[in-house]
Amino acid sequence: MAKKEKEKEISRRQFLRFSVATAIGVGAVGAGVTYLSTKDTTNGENMLRPPGAIANDDFMYACIKCGLCVQICPIDAVKLADLTQGLSYGTPYLDVREQACDFSCGAMQCVETCPTAALDFIQFKEEGEKAITKYEKEHPNDHDFNIIAVQLPAMHEYTKMGTAVLNTDTCLAANGKGFKGSPRDANFKGVYASPADVKNGLSPYPVNEHEFDRSICDICVTDCPIGEKAIIVENKIPKVLEGCTGCGVCTMICPTEGPSITMKKA
Amino acid sequence: MLFSKKKRKGQPLPAKRREDMPNVKEGLTFKQWKAKHAPNHKWRNKRWAVLLTLNTLFWASFAFDISVLEGSLSGSRFFGIYLMDLFNSLQQVLIRVRTGNFGMLTTNFFIGIGVIATFYFLAGGRTFCSWICPYHFLAENAEKLHNWLVKKKKIKEHSYAIGVKYVAFAMFLVLAFVTKQLVFEDMNPVGIISRSIIYGPSVLLLWVLGLLLFEIFHTKRFWCRYVCPMGVTYSAIGKFSPTAIKFDLDKCGHCRDCQDVCLVPHELWFVKRGEATKEVHFAGADCTRCGLCVDTCYGDALTITVKGIDSLL
Repeated sequence: MAKKEKEKEISRRQFLRFSVATAIGVGAVGAGVTYLSTKDTTNGENMLRPPGAIANDDFMYACIKCGLCVQICPIDAVKLADLTQGLSYGTPYLDVREQACDFSCGAMQCVETCPTAALDFIQFKEEGEKAITKYEKEHPNDHDFNIIAVQLPAMHEYTKMGTAVLNTDTCLAANGKGFKGSPRDANFKGVYASPADVKNGLSPYPVNEHEFDRSICDICVTDCPIGEKAIIVENKIPKVLEGCTGCGVCTMICPTEGPSITMKKA
Repeated sequence: MLFSKKKRKGQPLPAKRREDMPNVKEGLTFKQWKAKHAPNHKWRNKRWAVLLTLNTLFWASFAFDISVLEGSLSGSRFFGIYLMDLFNSLQQVLIRVRTGNFGMLTTNFFIGIGVIATFYFLAGGRTFCSWICPYHFLAENAEKLHNWLVKKKKIKEHSYAIGVKYVAFAMFLVLAFVTKQLVFEDMNPVGIISRSIIYGPSVLLLWVLGLLLFEIFHTKRFWCRYVCPMGVTYSAIGKFSPTAIKFDLDKCGHCRDCQDVCLVPHELWFVKRGEATKEVHFAGADCTRCGLCVDTCYGDALTITVKGIDSLL
């Protein structure tokens, strides 16, 4: 017969000792964990927070690591970080060289799904409403315009995950080179919807099925989901503008080994 | 109860006389009586089925992209209804009150808290622990291994004051408030296992493994009994729940086998001969409603009941 749970009489003094030990233990482990989890050891390149992420100090407590943003992303751009990624455990990130955010889900679904507003949807909602008000003012006679078509681009443009940085040393256009074929190797799994591609509408398809033939490479400019507000060709080389949202499509589809256009965290 | 010495209300009833013992009433010896009403695993099987199904559903919802149970145990969505973990939310609210960002929280966040709080109030005690928690599933089996090792005299039993979990609970809240981080979530084995099941294994599983080994070879159920603030939160919510384990003194043979299998034996203090102060007792807030005692009880003295409507059932 197994022994019965011995009912230990614990004195007030003993209880106090256990309590102090617990308090010190939890405090020490907690402080260590906090130190480890707040350390960002990535160089910030191509590793971005999802759209709408609030300021990092706030993001660290607001994110409860539930992963709803990961689940809802139709192109699997959002992933959860492990300690090995150099980011706080369980927080969402995008590695845009592997899979960029092409806004093809429409209405910022990862932001909308976040229950704790670590990805804050209110700002996008307000931005969308502003765009509608503006459109109505500019087009007083247009009564049945497509609200979504007005709202969404404004929301996309409001996003600020990071900014593209061009490396003119390796950029094909800067070296006067053209590009023919598909930008990434055959095993590359990333997908995106090209705004220039009317045939496929806005549904994303593999990078490998996007074919180009340019005498001077400008695919980062033509396939930018934001368009001329974000990147233009100037003096035959791409130029990143204020409007860049950091979505990372250009980084993902840059044909050079080691992308010539990278993303810097916002 | 901060001290293991129970502040029991009232004087104990007189110890049961021999002719009142359930085996004597059936005209059997104690051994024969126990053999006649052999324990089963009815509740345990149901419980494990629920636990494994839910955690599989979490995994399947992501793996096959079906909108059934998305998210993880720190926050999820069940057919579109948000569910939030309560201790996590408590830290969240506390930090946001400090930083002044309380207003940013979404309606879904509060819906999630409401649904979970209501559910666990109705289910009672630490139901979450034994019916949902994936760490519990591992720890429950680790506990069996631990008990076996103790029985074989390979290791010694260690126990501390049950009340230190309230100190840990308070400390985690203080840490959250001071550091503005969800400190607990970074070391929470429940979240780590849940996320590892759904999104792929994390290196932090090593920490969970370490905890389990410590529980097997040193302190029985160390994390669950003495640390886990999630359990404390759920037990606070479920303290006055209508669902409870009911103890019927009249049917009890005082064998105390239920305390052997019980995951929180201090909640079954009344089964000891001469301890009960009333004819009917209900297990307290730490009770996980696991049903192990119900499966074991030879005289059906312990049953899962819903107060108020138990006569209808």
